[in-house]
Amino acid sequence: MTILLDVITTAAILFVVAAGLLAIFGVLKIINFAHGAWLTVGGYCAVATTGMGLNPWLALPVAFVVGSALGGITEVLVVRPLYRRPLDAILATWGLGIVVGQLITLWFGRDVQFTPNLLSGTINVFGLDYSFYRLFMVLAALVVGLGFAVLLEGTRLGLSARAVIMNETLARALGIDTAKVRLTTFMIGTGLTALAGVLLTPLTSVDPDMGLAWLIGAFMLVMVAGSSFGALAVACLVFGGAQTLVSTFVSPVLGGITVAVLCALVLRISPKGFARA
Amino acid sequence: MPESRLPNIRVWLLGALVVASLFMIAFGPAFLDRFALNVLSRSMIYAMLAVTVDLLWGYAGVLTFGQAAFFGIGAYATAMVLTHLGSSPELMLLAFVLAILVPLVLGVVVGWLSFGYGATPLYATVISLVLPIVVTQVAFSGGQWTGSSSGLVGYATLPLSLAGYFRLTGICLLAVAAAAWIFVRSDAGKVLVAIRDNEARCAYLGLNASRIKIALTAVLAGVTGLAGFLFANASGVVAPENTGFVFGTELVIWTALGGRGTILGPVLGTIGIDYLSASLSGQLPFLWKLIVGALFVAMIILLPNGLAGLVGKILPRSKGSRGEGGPLRQAQVMQAPQDVVDKPPLLTIHDLGKSYGSLNVLQGINLTVQPGELVSLVGPNGAGKTTLMRCLSDGTESISGSVSVRGANIAGLAPDAIVALGVGRKFQVASVFDSLTVAECLRMARAARYRPSLVHSSQELDLPSAAVEILKLTALDGMLDRPVSALSHGLKQSLELTMVVALEPQLILLDEPTAGLTKTERMTIGTILKKLTGELGLAAILVEHDLDFVREISSRIVVLHQGQLVLDGTVQDVVNSELVKAIYSGGAHD
Repeated sequence: MTILLDVITTAAILFVVAAGLLAIFGVLKIINFAHGAWLTVGGYCAVATTGMGLNPWLALPVAFVVGSALGGITEVLVVRPLYRRPLDAILATWGLGIVVGQLITLWFGRDVQFTPNLLSGTINVFGLDYSFYRLFMVLAALVVGLGFAVLLEGTRLGLSARAVIMNETLARALGIDTAKVRLTTFMIGTGLTALAGVLLTPLTSVDPDMGLAWLIGAFMLVMVAGSSFGALAVACLVFGGAQTLVSTFVSPVLGGITVAVLCALVLRISPKGFARA
Repeated sequence: MPESRLPNIRVWLLGALVVASLFMIAFGPAFLDRFALNVLSRSMIYAMLAVTVDLLWGYAGVLTFGQAAFFGIGAYATAMVLTHLGSSPELMLLAFVLAILVPLVLGVVVGWLSFGYGATPLYATVISLVLPIVVTQVAFSGGQWTGSSSGLVGYATLPLSLAGYFRLTGICLLAVAAAAWIFVRSDAGKVLVAIRDNEARCAYLGLNASRIKIALTAVLAGVTGLAGFLFANASGVVAPENTGFVFGTELVIWTALGGRGTILGPVLGTIGIDYLSASLSGQLPFLWKLIVGALFVAMIILLPNGLAGLVGKILPRSKGSRGEGGPLRQAQVMQAPQDVVDKPPLLTIHDLGKSYGSLNVLQGINLTVQPGELVSLVGPNGAGKTTLMRCLSDGTESISGSVSVRGANIAGLAPDAIVALGVGRKFQVASVFDSLTVAECLRMARAARYRPSLVHSSQELDLPSAAVEILKLTALDGMLDRPVSALSHGLKQSLELTMVVALEPQLILLDEPTAGLTKTERMTIGTILKKLTGELGLAAILVEHDLDFVREISSRIVVLHQGQLVLDGTVQDVVNSELVKAIYSGGAHD
């Protein structure tokens, strides 16, 4: 029973972490390797907010605003010149990640920081005591997933974004301002990633490299999911589940590479991954 | 070669550099302090890695982070042998062999995963990310075998002094860099650039790009393993960081800053940055990393070819370094035999069908083509002409029915294998290699037939006489050392046709070879085609919209309409056919 809850909550955490990367990859077809850095930025937003004696929950909106603002600057200065050079975009965003990481180190120092728990204690589910916060992450994942569904299906921006995903040339010819769609998507993606960074703080310690550990997993999940949030949810459940099982029954070290290895195998057999699902 | 040329600045600089590095290797230990010797030995090992990253990324166009993994495996193999087995000369030799062999074998596997059938271009990068992570985790979980997180330390190494290691790594780096320098200038080295430019064209020139990239990955993994062996000995410690993904990205950063697509750039970039990092990390550790990161971002955006690219623009380009057109030579070529009476037909299409889901693009096509025929394939847009051409030149397309070339069924054969059967294909949009010169493009067309040299850069150009004739007709013979990117649209089309003819095919497939050409260019192409089929006994299938052109050159016309072959006859039959008039005026629908 605990295993089942572990699987679901692990999948939820992976989903929240990878959602911002997927949004950017889906619309811009750019792999944002600064993803880890935006998670770290989010983590330090939590540190800064609580450091000023404010309510820890306030870190969520703060991180979203900070992340989107930084994302906006990044899109204009770094990503925009590289749309035609996707491999170079991977490298440039990775370099940006280094810069962001070093700036954080210069500001906050290298030491590990701790933040107060957003939600503490356990809750009784089906006769089991389970971490309340991990269950809360499931709710967070649902909110993020549904939020994107509403955004894509129900708004004008979503319609434009879907048009850009399907056929960017045609979308531009039809008078959609694709540059604006890209900028907005990038800002939402980075904002969301920073927000995910705040949500991670109770689960991991905050240090300048905290995002790096999540980068490759999120990247592989997004490769498998293509540009679909549904496929990402499936991928998170399948591979997050596999990771939990391997960590529990085989070895935690092998568990750490389960997602990456399985995703690589899936992509080898079916280059489109779960995108058709 | 013209004699009186100004002394070539590049050659002089290069010579001076080699002399200077030899001097440094020999006398460096006399005036460098311990710190500098130590750091430079390490930097030079890293520079070897940068050269391998550069060959893969800068030349072959494969962005890789995986060299760190091969390096770590080489280093761990060495350290594990020396720690657990001992360090007698025989065991040292064993460590040396294993450090190269294990990465080499793994390189074959990784290469197959990255470039084997069905892999997408981005997939190689994906694998190169996963590999170092897997190797690192294995190192972490290896217990006492790998020393887990603290790594292996305290084993006996090669009995060399600090100066000895400095000289050893210096000589190895010089050897690796020189080998790479010679290789990228050789005929075989140009194949890498051709694959980076246009992998599809390579396949249709009969080159197996996957196999070439797998071989490159494996060999470079071996070289990387050698660097790992040196590192394990010189540093005396091997830790999981040496094999990690972050180290893999650092290699790419050094290569990018130095200048991808050059050999000297990454070598100097790596030594410079790693040495500066070691010197400055004491005073301003985070700031230095910040500066390197910011420089890297700026460089990728503004100067994708790195510092070496900038220097390359300033220095005058030496003629010799690009491989000149050189004298044209007509190769002794067996022409297709003229007596073809009792031979099987060149091409037999039996009941060919092709569908995408429920949409039938082609159905029930039967056609045979004999040597010497010039068959024109006409029909309105969407009739399935280009699809038919694709089914004839790529056996991996899923079709019903069968296609045989000279009696051999092509089902399942990749394009390069079909080229070997004697089929050449010219694409609708000129498909050539933009980074090469005209002569290099033409050599590429001969590379599948005559294995290109790994060290030598040809000055001659051996072509079959038909290809030479096309060059003369189109005046391309005077532009052999011109870069392809500077050619006009018409000349690119002619060049591609020459490349296809240089394959010495027996059957040529041409998809709208005259699209966008001037009247004169069209007539030239027409003359060439008539000559190839009429005099040399080749067969050609031509997709064409210009009916006047078709009427003038064809020996036979086939009409395709809505995926079916509706008419197959002589020029007279087809031109006078009511059906054809109806189809072209849009009237005929089943």
